[in-house]
Amino acid sequence: MAYHSFLLEPISCHAWNKDRTRKYGSTISPLCLTGIDWAPESNRLVTCGTDRNAYVWTLKGNVWKPTLVILRINRAARCVKWSPKENKFAVGSGSRLISICYFEQENDWWVCKHIKKPIRSTVLSLDWHPNNVLLAAGSCDFKCRIFSAYIKEVEERPSPTPWGSKMPFGELMFESSSSCGWVHSICFSASGTRVAWVSHDSTLCLADANKKMAVASLCTETLPLLAVTFITENSLVAAGHDCYPMLFTYEEGQGTLTFGGKLDVPKQNSQRGLTARERFQNLDKKASSDTANATLDTLHKNSIRHGLQISVLVGGKANCSQFCTTGMDGGMSIWDVKSLESALKDLRIK
Amino acid sequence: SSSPRRSCPRASGPLSSSPASHALPLSRQEQAQGTVLKVLVSFKSSEIEQAVNSLDRNGIDLLMKYIYKGFEKPTENSSAILLQWHEKALAVGGLGSIVRVLTARKTV
Repeated sequence: MAYHSFLLEPISCHAWNKDRTRKYGSTISPLCLTGIDWAPESNRLVTCGTDRNAYVWTLKGNVWKPTLVILRINRAARCVKWSPKENKFAVGSGSRLISICYFEQENDWWVCKHIKKPIRSTVLSLDWHPNNVLLAAGSCDFKCRIFSAYIKEVEERPSPTPWGSKMPFGELMFESSSSCGWVHSICFSASGTRVAWVSHDSTLCLADANKKMAVASLCTETLPLLAVTFITENSLVAAGHDCYPMLFTYEEGQGTLTFGGKLDVPKQNSQRGLTARERFQNLDKKASSDTANATLDTLHKNSIRHGLQISVLVGGKANCSQFCTTGMDGGMSIWDVKSLESALKDLRIK
Repeated sequence: SSSPRRSCPRASGPLSSSPASHALPLSRQEQAQGTVLKVLVSFKSSEIEQAVNSLDRNGIDLLMKYIYKGFEKPTENSSAILLQWHEKALAVGGLGSIVRVLTARKTV
């Protein structure tokens, strides 16, 4: 795997262009950029930030020209995603709603419609279904939801999917029962029949539309995960506060999720860290709770932070061979799936 | 002033004149806490690991909730044995089980 360091400032978001030759970082605006996404076919960027606006950037010669998009929100925007056909984008915000933006030809500007009900808190993450209509949203109200973001002005009526057949704009197609944590990241599988999400209560969940939207969940032994992506229809990679990516496998027959292994090999056997009892003993003996084991043995020294979605680079979500992670330590890593499989003997990517 | 967690108001009649008048009726939750704590404290150190290994994932998470509740309300020597329970539960449940104590909406 390759590790690149950008030590100036944390990379708060990254986006890749079509042939993955260029990576765009968030240095363009003095305002706090919270989300960025690159549309590979039309070669446009969309950014969103705490200024409650979004900008669509098009390349004119050598210069990126921004076009303002009014989102009509009164809180910061948190995340943004182009739809697969790149004729719409969705913005999640602290205003407890999702702005679906599309271009209105007659007036030559971007307009937006809101999806509000029944969202009760900040929308932290978004992902589009391959049909360009359904949108999954993870929120601070502990729920994962799938909405229809059908815009009749720009597209044909969608055909039925395993998530439902009637898809008027704003229709709620699926809502998870409450987990106990903010939903940090959410991801559709390549086919769109499955959606997975990670929550702040250290759980990973997956809803399978082919099984009447049954939800499989896994309580992990790790700190909360902040980003998740499918790398095949049955395998997921997730990462979070523990600073290393990990593999999970979905067993369709049994409807279960299992932990498949860590994807970062520490240089030496790292100890578990002090138990609570040892800490108190140290406090007793040396008047200090010794944190000698504090140095991390993982590649990323700091959380692979929210907003730095694990990105599939090569192969798509159905057959990913390379993915990328970014961290608050200012570093970016590129992971090669084949190399990981051969290096970590027990790893099985199904 | 009344404590918000008591399920019954302070009785001024027969209850207050009895020798154990300070022992107000406990809520069911508090009764459960007391019972679980008594059980945890009654274990010998050597028996703890086996007990923890007999639990499934949900059991470990529930145990962790009771351990932390026990830390909140220590009795004589309870914390020492709870620390041993904590060590064994942590080995099986990992930091995730502690995270779920912190994020739980339903407390024990």
